[in-house]
Amino acid sequence: MNIFITYGGLISPLGNNVNDNFKNMLEGKSGISVTKNTGFNNEDLPLGKINNIKGENRFDKLLSKLCDKLVLDFNKSIFKDKKTLFIVSSTKGNLDDLPNDTFSSTRRILKEKLNVKNEIIIISNACISGVIAVNTAADYIKYNKYNNVVVIGIDALSNFITYGFQSLFALSNEASKPFDKERKGISIGEAAGCLILSKKELNNIFSVIYVGGSSSNDANHISGPSRTGEGLYRSINKTFNRANINEKEIDFISAHGTGTIYNDEMESIAFNRLKISNIPMHSLKGYFGHTLGAAGVIELITCIKMMEKQTLLKSLGFEEQGTSMKLNITKKNYKSRLSKILKTASGFGGGNASLILKLKE
Amino acid sequence: MKLIASCKINKTGVYLNSQLISRNDLSESNWITELYYDSNKEYPKFHKMDNLAKLAFLGFLFLEKKININNYKDDEISLIFSNASSSKTNDLKYINTYTNKGNPSPSLFVYTLPNILTGELAILNKWYGENIFFIQQKFDPKFYIEQIKFYFSKGAKAILAGWVESNDKNEECFLFFIEKKEGKLTIEKLNKLYQNE
Repeated sequence: MNIFITYGGLISPLGNNVNDNFKNMLEGKSGISVTKNTGFNNEDLPLGKINNIKGENRFDKLLSKLCDKLVLDFNKSIFKDKKTLFIVSSTKGNLDDLPNDTFSSTRRILKEKLNVKNEIIIISNACISGVIAVNTAADYIKYNKYNNVVVIGIDALSNFITYGFQSLFALSNEASKPFDKERKGISIGEAAGCLILSKKELNNIFSVIYVGGSSSNDANHISGPSRTGEGLYRSINKTFNRANINEKEIDFISAHGTGTIYNDEMESIAFNRLKISNIPMHSLKGYFGHTLGAAGVIELITCIKMMEKQTLLKSLGFEEQGTSMKLNITKKNYKSRLSKILKTASGFGGGNASLILKLKE
Repeated sequence: MKLIASCKINKTGVYLNSQLISRNDLSESNWITELYYDSNKEYPKFHKMDNLAKLAFLGFLFLEKKININNYKDDEISLIFSNASSSKTNDLKYINTYTNKGNPSPSLFVYTLPNILTGELAILNKWYGENIFFIQQKFDPKFYIEQIKFYFSKGAKAILAGWVESNDKNEECFLFFIEKKEGKLTIEKLNKLYQNE
């Protein structure tokens, strides 16, 4: 049985739909820009901010906007179908709702806007949330519980997150440059994206096949990447086994690449141990910044779009090798056969996750 | 799937397989820290943890007595966890550091994610298996049984599942350990264990 996966929508600083985002990425545009007085000490910080969302409850506004788009672009009956499940990937939900629950608004908005009937599943597992949300969606299809699973990945900018990463000295003072020699850290971003996994291909939309995925813990540190890349190494190995694919078949890697010294170094070690470091790869954090719970989802949307166009996107911000282990980071866009893509993610709590997508035969 | 053991901790005490094994001394200002001292376990990292990670750590110390984790390789146990309030208790403490106390606290910030508790359990046991953390409105045995089936069919040999909650009204931890053996795990059974019946 095949599990089909397609993109449903993408709202980021680079556009309000998948095509606009992809067009801007092809042109090498970044959604990261300096925003005034956003730091704890009123520093000007480079952030991936969606400028037309204003005021409080940014998360709710962003989620509502994505839902409105979905209603326009899809037949509404799919959303209220009893055989459709919704999975939301987010690290924080709506922080403005504290001290009340920060995920109540997510359930309310999906019910109001999309008429969702089933219980909504929320996954909050730091920066690997998006990738494991897709793995979970595939489980539900594979074991015949649902015909369609809609996966929404979303996180909004907040002082909470910005100040937190500042306190860890993890923020870059310029747009983040994953894997580059001069990389200085993360640029935080915000986005909302949607993927749809299904038993049958949806009409008139390009889709690819989800082949397999897994997660693995580093068992090392709650906020620092493993020095040996153990969790990432194990997750990718497990994914190869589950997908019954070997490393030689992979055409491209969509890496996590946050732009911090330690994360990117860890990935280079894991990819080297797996002997996949010669495969072309990029990080999309130079386009969107690090969008936390949205990251895996919006990066997979981009992967599917790349497969549709058979075009590799360069790793924006990368100029010169900056990890101890050599990697094949893409420096320009180019046409290439993309039949199988490996997607990876790593995050706080020692989490690592991966999955493989392939073109239909 | 076979349920091997369960542990519930709440304000009233610690229950191992529904049997009360110790009553908390509520005259102590912090019963969670008291439980740690009573355990005689030396684990200095405990003191930097948030309440979610502390509860999960303590729950595991009790549960460990009833299960044999050495039967499993370091990646054969999957962790499936959920709660309703995410990391709310610690989120509010962290917010207080930058709104009232001068500077955002990095040591509190790193605990502003609920899945950190699964990371702590992985570090404690050197477990490299799969982890996932869900936000659910209440403890939902049917959901766990479904997820456990998924992870067994993906290759896990055992599952450590848990519901760990911390908010202004309630602090509780319910852990259960399931092996991939003949046996029937029912919604009713899980509900009873969760309610200490």
